[in-house]
Amino acid sequence: MKRDNLLAAFKTAALVAAVGGLCLVLLPNYWIFLVTAVFIIGMSLQSLGLVVGRSGMISLCQMSFAGVGAWTVGYLNLIGFPGGLIVWMLIGGLAALPFGLIIGIPALRLRGINLAIVTLGFAVAFGVVLGTITYPGQTTFQMVQRPAGFDSDRGYFILVLIVYGISAVALEVVSRSRLGASWLAVSHSERAAASLGVSVPLSKLSAFAISSFIAGVSGGLLAGYMGTLLADNFSMMQSLVLFAVAIMVGAQFPLGAILGGILVALFPELLRRLNLPQDLGSVIFGLGAVQALSTGETMSETFGRLIRKMMPKRPAAGGGDETALPAPRPDTGAPNALQASGITVRYGNVVALNNASLSVPKGKVVGLIGPNGAGKSTFVDAMTGYLPRYEGDVLFQGDNINALGVTQRARAGLRRTWQTTRMAPDLTVGQYVDLASGGGLTDAEIAAVLDWFDCPPAGELIAAVDSGARRLLDVAGVVAARPPVILLDEPAAGQSYAEAVMLGKRIAEIPQRFGSSVLLIEHDMDLVRTACSEVTVLDFGTVLAAGPTAEVLDMPVVKKAYMGIDFEHEEAAE
Amino acid sequence: MNSRKRATWFGLAAGAGLIAMSGTAFAAGPTCDGGTIKIGSVSTITGPVDFSAAPKAAAAYFDQLNEAGGINGCKIEYFMGDDRGDPLVATQTARDLIDNEKVVVMAGSASLLDCGVNAQLYQRSNVLDVPGLAVDPVCYTAPSVSGVAPGPYVLSTAMLYYASEELGNESICAFNYVIGGWKEAMEGAMAEWEQITGKKLTILDMTLPVQGDLTPYLIRARDEGCDAVFTNQVEPGIVQLINTADAQGIEGIDFVFLASGFTEGVATALKDSPQPIYVGTEWEPYTLENEANSGWRAMIEKAGITPSAFSQAGYLAGEVITSVISGIDGEVTNESVAQALRTMEPATFPIAAAPYLFGEGAMDGPMRATKVVKLDGGVWSVVTPDWLDLPSVN
Amino acid sequence: MDSLLTSAVAGLSAGGAYAILGVCVVFTFRLVAVVNFTATALGAIGAFVMVFLTEAGYPLVPAVLTGLVAGTLASVVVGFVTTIWFSGANQTVKAAVTAAILVCLIALGLRFTGGQHPRAFPDLVGGAGLRLAGVTITTASLVSIALAVILTVAVEQFLARTRTGLQLRALSERPMAAELLGVPVRPLALGVWAASGAMTTIALMLIAPLRSPDFGSLSLLVVPAFAAALVGMFQSFRAALAGGILIGVIEGLASGFVELAQYRSAVPFLVILTVLMWSQRGARWDEAR
Repeated sequence: MKRDNLLAAFKTAALVAAVGGLCLVLLPNYWIFLVTAVFIIGMSLQSLGLVVGRSGMISLCQMSFAGVGAWTVGYLNLIGFPGGLIVWMLIGGLAALPFGLIIGIPALRLRGINLAIVTLGFAVAFGVVLGTITYPGQTTFQMVQRPAGFDSDRGYFILVLIVYGISAVALEVVSRSRLGASWLAVSHSERAAASLGVSVPLSKLSAFAISSFIAGVSGGLLAGYMGTLLADNFSMMQSLVLFAVAIMVGAQFPLGAILGGILVALFPELLRRLNLPQDLGSVIFGLGAVQALSTGETMSETFGRLIRKMMPKRPAAGGGDETALPAPRPDTGAPNALQASGITVRYGNVVALNNASLSVPKGKVVGLIGPNGAGKSTFVDAMTGYLPRYEGDVLFQGDNINALGVTQRARAGLRRTWQTTRMAPDLTVGQYVDLASGGGLTDAEIAAVLDWFDCPPAGELIAAVDSGARRLLDVAGVVAARPPVILLDEPAAGQSYAEAVMLGKRIAEIPQRFGSSVLLIEHDMDLVRTACSEVTVLDFGTVLAAGPTAEVLDMPVVKKAYMGIDFEHEEAAE
Repeated sequence: MNSRKRATWFGLAAGAGLIAMSGTAFAAGPTCDGGTIKIGSVSTITGPVDFSAAPKAAAAYFDQLNEAGGINGCKIEYFMGDDRGDPLVATQTARDLIDNEKVVVMAGSASLLDCGVNAQLYQRSNVLDVPGLAVDPVCYTAPSVSGVAPGPYVLSTAMLYYASEELGNESICAFNYVIGGWKEAMEGAMAEWEQITGKKLTILDMTLPVQGDLTPYLIRARDEGCDAVFTNQVEPGIVQLINTADAQGIEGIDFVFLASGFTEGVATALKDSPQPIYVGTEWEPYTLENEANSGWRAMIEKAGITPSAFSQAGYLAGEVITSVISGIDGEVTNESVAQALRTMEPATFPIAAAPYLFGEGAMDGPMRATKVVKLDGGVWSVVTPDWLDLPSVN
Repeated sequence: MDSLLTSAVAGLSAGGAYAILGVCVVFTFRLVAVVNFTATALGAIGAFVMVFLTEAGYPLVPAVLTGLVAGTLASVVVGFVTTIWFSGANQTVKAAVTAAILVCLIALGLRFTGGQHPRAFPDLVGGAGLRLAGVTITTASLVSIALAVILTVAVEQFLARTRTGLQLRALSERPMAAELLGVPVRPLALGVWAASGAMTTIALMLIAPLRSPDFGSLSLLVVPAFAAALVGMFQSFRAALAGGILIGVIEGLASGFVELAQYRSAVPFLVILTVLMWSQRGARWDEAR
């Protein structure tokens, strides 16, 4: 993983340097001037790609952030702030950052289209306000000073290239980090991300903050590029066009941002060369975007696919070594890992759980069984904090955690898996496990955990993993975190018999290998028999029986409740 | 001004002489390498507004000039750039014309934002700009740009002056909207009127919403007893304002607008309105068929261009630049044109009220006069047969 | 106080316009799950077709009807693109599609309607409706508000009580499942687009005379329409109706405060944001994922 990160960062840097070098060698001044704009717009697109492409939030005010950066640079230029454009630009980015946070706050409560329209409203209001503020220095003809040595067209191109390269490499590194993985996870499912201990608000705010910072810097670059600016540079329509371009090209990919920059910056030039009216650009852009979007993949994905086709396939990463499995975490000494007493949950008039109690002793795997609708998943939701309210107490390692939220419980070490997996398909298997484990694992340890559960190799994209393997991966991720308590919600559903038996054996070994206690919810009785030392039976929200597995499963009342309908049918048939 | 009439005659004579001269082979005069002089323009042709009438008229002017032999045998090659109302495209277009086409001067542009984004580029590359129609204030203050019109800021002061001094309105209200760096210039224009007349505006609202509904603003103007309402709105905004006033049944307010309202579109759209609508013009009102307009009218008729103030702008810019280039001795380059423009004597042209001078800041340049037209049943009629001169502050 | 009331009442004229457009936007979003950036641009096409005909000397009624047909057809074309080509796409992609089409439509519209040059929009229902606090509320404004109310009630009843309404709801919530159940997905979706196109066209014909009569400005009316829809989280017709009027009134009130200066335009936005942040204070998770 870590080596892959470095490699990817290096590849990005080399790509930018190569493209820039080629431009410098081949292009005359005028074209260098044009191509500079490609990279500046490319940077705005990168910033948008981060929010839209990675975090799944629609931002229609990206140019407003750039405007804040640009105007800040203008002021600093006017007052002759020391440090020159490079420093001003960074301050411009920092000035845009609070605006990103302000827009990020509604994102905590609003999603999808509602958030999009909030950002649109911001873009409109901001555009009007900015329109009334003359660009600093414009009335006195003070252009934004470029740094010494970078003041020519070629010089400024090199500066823009360097800044673009730094931001591209930084984004590449960040997006492969746990933070970047958390953006994808949150964008795919907030609940699932929270169950991994990811703080959803922090993830969203960080995405907006970093994005607005980059947009602010790109605005600063634009200020240096044009010398003076108008509010029209940052109007709502510009943001809207940028959004459409970002979706079209896939601005979250380094290649996509450059492609988008080329489309926006060079299309007018093409029309000039062909002697066509400029508004044709908007028309062709509109039609082209619709066409490109209708292919169902972004332009950079198309390019990437074509390039991969031509490249030889890399051999799959080798299996992990069992001895490399991460060591258990130190013990805290509480006798019961998890104790739930008197849990009652009501949905309106329906009582989903009625005074249910259960305990998960330390170092054990216990089962929770019951027919569909018995309240098993509701119980897991209550334990892990997903229910807005429940009665009763949840004691985690002896402490009452009723007051803690989902993320806090997950971080404390009360972890769960999902009946239907909710993993972000854009993550790699390795990234997912890294994110789920809470960090700190080496590549070898991750590979070992994956291997232990028979999961696909770390480099594989989750999108390419079948649903059975995703369940295993869900379990592997939780286990890799080695929390005190793991709640597994039907991990064997969809597995073959052999796989389920094998999984059962692995689950039984979890307490000893990883130091975690496990609550296993299953329908597969063989799996329960293999893995669980004790079992609790739920029926209609009430605990029917609890005790050692073999005894409980033989109780008639359990047989009737659990497979009751079948019995009655059989009796009736006889 | 008595001298104006003489100046007009002088201008006509000069123009005639110029065409005569251009055919003859005097040793002294402009020469050109390769047989053409390249002139560029950056206008908003597509996008939010269509100002193409100005550069098209300039192109027609140069066509006519070329047919008559060009300037001292040099043909003009004219480039019409389009900025789409987008600052980045405006910069690219100007760079393309300067770097690739090697234009020697910009003339006849009509853009929402060309001066604002490109004035410094023109300064740096020493390619000066003589726009036909200029909206943003940089056009009137930048040392590299000097338009051929009084401009919206001088005209704002003039129209307020007209409303208070000529129409005799006591209570004057101004509703302006501000975009793209207009704020200081617009405030300056309002302040100048207050200095000239010693009066105060009853309402000064500098932030009319560009897209919003105007009803609340008109109601406020009525309730505060405004006798005259001034706004710097352009065509659609003017139509919206008057329609709203009609819908509210407002009576007794003079509506005073800038030259952008002086179009056939506004006249047609508001032909049924009972409101008194006054518009200031930048040049001789284009609706007049008089001597001052004769040169321009002959050209547009020949070229099949619809009469409008825009086409006057392009024509006048063509005239100005032609007379300046004609005065050059030697090779026509961007340097020699810039030199000629910067050292030129004030030159008089029949269509304009005052002589043209490439000023360092034309905001206080010589062009400070307007003629006012009034809309009567869908037809513009001139209500000030003589130029209305805006007095200086002191 | 008096002048505040006057300012607020003066905002009603805009409020009526925003309300009906907001309801139209919610209609499209609820039923075909597309946030339609082109909504008002499509209506503007119809309105301009009408103007071209009246300017060419045709009588008003056939001109209005032709405009209506044009607006409806334009809407169906955009609907065709989004439903046929993008049936499986997510909301973000669909939003990007309509945003791209909007860029395209504005460019075309400005070109064919002569840029900023104003058109003489005829008053469909001219005249003063009633006078309140010294402000004339035009018949057109009253008709807009009335239409918005009728539309809200009619659509709510239609969705709740008719079989087609039920199918439409199924269509928007689970398009795949609806298709499997034999709901005629495409015809219904195109029908929704046609209906919303026709309604928006009528709304724009009513509104245009008192707005900046150029294609760009009319197309951008989609922004306050979205703002109105946002008040009801793009779900509630009533909230969109109320939201539209609220925005108009706030705009009117804000016009009275010169000291707000350029920040005036941000006031409706801030009010909506505050309302939303408060009403959504309990929202914790994204939809059931």
